Formats: sequence, structure tokens, C-alpha cells
Amino acid sequence: MENGQVEISTCPFFAMSVYRDKRKVKSSKFKQSESILLVLFLLPTFFFIVIAQFYPLLYSVYISFTKWSLVKWKPIGFIGLFNYQQVLQDTLFKHAAKISLLFACIATPVELIIGFLLAYMVIGERKIIRITRSILIIPMTIAPVAVGTMWRMLLNTRAGLVNYLLQGIGITGPNWLATPLTAFLSILMVDIWQWTPFAMIIFVAALSSLPPDLFSAAQIDGASRWQILRYIISPLIAPITILVILFRFIDSILVIDIIYTTTYGGPGFSTNVITFHIYKQALKYFNVTYAAAASWILQIFCLSVAIVLLAYSGKLQEKF
Amino acid sequence: MKKIYPKEKGWGSVFSLIRAIVIILGTSAVLLPFIYLFLNSIKPEFEFLSIPPRLLPSRIVMKYYSSLLTPESETLSFLYNSLIVTSATTILAVLAGALAGYSLSHFRFSSKIIAIAVFSILLVRFYPKITTIIPYFILMKKFHLLDTLVSIIIAHVSITLPFVVLLMMSFFRDIPRSVEESAKLDGCNVWQVFCKIALPLSTPGLATSAVLTAIISWNEFLIASSLASVNAKTLPIAVSAFITDKGILWGPMSAMTASIVVPIVLFTLLLQKYLVRGLTLGAIK
Repeated sequence: MENGQVEISTCPFFAMSVYRDKRKVKSSKFKQSESILLVLFLLPTFFFIVIAQFYPLLYSVYISFTKWSLVKWKPIGFIGLFNYQQVLQDTLFKHAAKISLLFACIATPVELIIGFLLAYMVIGERKIIRITRSILIIPMTIAPVAVGTMWRMLLNTRAGLVNYLLQGIGITGPNWLATPLTAFLSILMVDIWQWTPFAMIIFVAALSSLPPDLFSAAQIDGASRWQILRYIISPLIAPITILVILFRFIDSILVIDIIYTTTYGGPGFSTNVITFHIYKQALKYFNVTYAAAASWILQIFCLSVAIVLLAYSGKLQEKF
Repeated sequence: MKKIYPKEKGWGSVFSLIRAIVIILGTSAVLLPFIYLFLNSIKPEFEFLSIPPRLLPSRIVMKYYSSLLTPESETLSFLYNSLIVTSATTILAVLAGALAGYSLSHFRFSSKIIAIAVFSILLVRFYPKITTIIPYFILMKKFHLLDTLVSIIIAHVSITLPFVVLLMMSFFRDIPRSVEESAKLDGCNVWQVFCKIALPLSTPGLATSAVLTAIISWNEFLIASSLASVNAKTLPIAVSAFITDKGILWGPMSAMTASIVVPIVLFTLLLQKYLVRGLTLGAIK
């Protein structure tokens, strides 16, 4: 942390290190009254998590199997898997799922690659480098909603900065948000602009934590920069790379704020991503049980991706 | 750290050139949109759509900012709501999170229980928040808390708490046990050890948690927009409202967006030290 240096221990790996921790430090023995006090310490957290996470999660499973009365505003009777059937037969849902998958499959690798290149360039302790790093992380800290409105102006056909710059190199820019393909490219661009810094910052942490001796040894052995990158750095940061992929993939599947403020799912349904689809079903058409079922399909998908990638990353890490 | 860039003949200078270009390109890609936004917010109306487009304003107008401050625009009440939600969320999440983090790092839970706790905390990061929004909406309706700041604060605390707990656990584990042991020998009970020893020794952790929580809460849109309809609207909701209008209201939209962005940009630049640690753990959302 000193001098803006980042420690690797702060990365999500921490969670796994806790898991593997064999509790080397024996906790001191507490008197019974003190143990009770320590358990009481957990209560506030328990309260918030139960009220706003566990209960809603369980309730949404429950209503996904019921028929909903809009008049009484509560479930009226079980209908089994009917809602799930309805969701899976819905062409709009399938379309939204496709759009989201495509979006995530393009955005994730692009962010990963640019993020790594940037990270590789901005490692170091010189003041200018540190300032550059601070500037580069700004996009990911500002509100996605604001990023959306900002890009709506930047992408404006006549007065937007993007087309203005394109004009400068002799290209007539398209009407970005008005045709399906360019609208899709636009939201990709916005997502990449906002979240590449995330990949960068994790890679900066990972690269900074590598032992410097390794590089001087390799250098003495006559390894070139490319060889060091290819044979030493990349295997060492492989586990963290998997985590970056995991974070970025899930977050791009769940993107909604920037869609809301740039294209609102349009034109037509060309940028109607999955979370936005569910959001509209739930809060615009009050199709509550449909939304619950759809969100659980999404839920199961996300959690399986998360578990698989976390396990894979853990396995890679164990090798070293 | 220098060792990562081995000194090579020829390559070295080419590499520093590439490096300089990448850094210039990267920072301008980040900064230009902000400069453009700021220029838009002080540009006279007729200049937005002039042909060819004019980037630099011919004169500076502050009317969009001053119109945000008039009573009709309601921006002040959005700002007020955002400030209340953000500060309450930060205080509650850091307090509750510090307590839980201390308990998890000190009590003799079996390591299985800890692993389960940590794992479920991590999973909160990965599941679609949209799943909980509808049931939470229904629950708040039952409690007659819809469209209140309380409902938003509780939700925000619940999504930020997991990160705070993880962060604080890592900080409390770094405190040498001997310090706490000797305090206990001097007759302090758990509560006193927590308040007088553990908390003061982990102020960087508290600061990191607070910065992270404040940013997440200030930016959060999805949950707030589902709960607030009239009275409890926060700034992100006000910003998002510009989408429903036909066409773009350039001036007001720029001024509004600038006012939600500027505090966070300053925050980022000033508190970078704490922020980076939180970001790499919390993977901010």
C-alpha cells in the first residue's frame, strides 16, 4: 500500500486463503460471556443480510412456482414449473440471453487484453506513473448511469465528440444509437471504456506482487522481455486472470445501468440484454412470477459459471 | 519493481516510446469524455447543434448549474437524499462489518463455518441483484416502507456489507495477537479490546471500507430506482430520467451528470490509496 503500491493479498484470493488457513494462530480462550459477546457481534450483519438478501432470495424461489394476483398483490396457488416453461418458450427471453452472451463474450476478452497491456505499462513508482494509474481508474468509480448519459452525448451523430474525431481522420461516423449493429457496438464500447480499468487494476496488483529476483535471474540467463512475459509472468498470473475473467464475464452478463441510459434496449430489441429484459418484466409490466422464474434461470447460470471458474482458479493456484 | 523491465539495448528505448504512447492514449481516452462533458455544461444552447459542431464554447454560461439549484428542479432534494443514503449506508455498513469481521477473525468457529461464511459472502458478489429486487419490493410494500430512504439504506447496507466484512477480517487478522493478549491481561474485556485496541489499529481498513461503501452507495441505481417513486429519488435516478425525454437536453443533462461525477472523480484522485485496496477486493459495482 505504501507509495500507491498494491498488495496481492487484497485480491479475492483472500477468501480462499481463509479457507485453506489451518488456523496456525490459536485463538485465545475466551470466557463464556465473552464468547456470547463475540456471537452478538454478528447480529447486525445477520439482520441486514437476512432482511435484504436471504429472505428475498427464498421468497423469489417461492413465487417463481406460483400464480400471482395483481389485484391482491400476492401469490394465489402453486402452478409448478409453468413460469419456467413460459420463460424458456419466450422468444424475447431467448433473444435477450443471446444478446447478453454475445456481449459478455466480446467485452470480457477485450477488457482483459487492453487491461493487461495497460497494467504492464503502468507498473512502477515514478510519480508520473502513479498519477497515470489514478487517472486510469476513474471510469470504474463513477456511476454507470452517468457513464451512460455521458456516452449518449459523445455518440450523438451531429454534435458528439466521437463522430467529430472520426471526421478529423476523414470518416463520416454512423448514427451510433439508431441502428441495431452500431447500437450494440456502442454499448460494447461503453462497457469496455468503463471496465477495462478493473482488469488493469487487478493486473497491476498481480504484477507488483511478483518477486523481482525472478526477473533478474531470468535476465542473467539471457531471457528476453517477451520470454519473461511468456514463460514467467503469464503462468504466475494465470489464476488471477481466471478471476478477472470471472468478474468481468458475470458483470457483463448482468449489465443494465448503461443500457438504461444509452439505448433503453433499442432500437427494436437489439440491445435488450437479459437483466434489462427481466427488469422491465418485473417493474414495468409487473409480470412478477415470470421475472422471478427468469431471474432464477439467470441465477443458476451465473452461480455455476462462478463456481466452475473459482474452482479452476484455485486449482491453478495450487500448482505453485 | 524496476526489474520487471530488463534493460536491453535498442529494445529498451523502443519500449519506453511504446509505453509513452500507450499512456498518452489511455489517459486521453479517459479524460476527453469528461472534458467534453464539462464543456457541454457551460456552453450556450445554440452552439450544441451548430454545423460544423463547435467543441469549445464561445462564452461561458452557468445557467444550467444555477437552474439545478432552483426549487422547481428538485435537484437539491435528490442531492439531499443521496447524501443521507450514502452517509447512513457507510456508517452502518462499516460498523456492522467491523463487528462481524472481528467476530469471524477471533471467535473459535470451526474452520468449516468460516469457510461457508466467506464463501457465501463471495457469492453475494456474483448473483444477479435483479432476483432480490422484486421480493424486496414486496417486503417493503408490506412494511409500508416503499419510497422511503430507509428501504434504500437497508438494501445498500446489505450489498456492501459482504465486502466490508471480508476487508475487516483481513485487517483484524494482521493485528499481532500478543497486543490483544496483553490488553486482556490488563483486565480489558472483549468489547474494550475491540474498541481500544483492534479498531484504532485498523483505521486504514476502516477508511478503505468507508470509501468503497460510499462510492457503491452513491452510484447505485438498480435497487434505488425500483424502490423510489417520488420522495426517495437519489441522484442516479434523476440522471437516468433524462432518457425518457425526446432528444437530448444537452445543457441540463451535462450539468446534472457533471454534478454526480465530480465528487467521485475528486474522491478517486484524493483517496486513491484506500480506494485501490478496496477495489481489488470488492470489485466495485
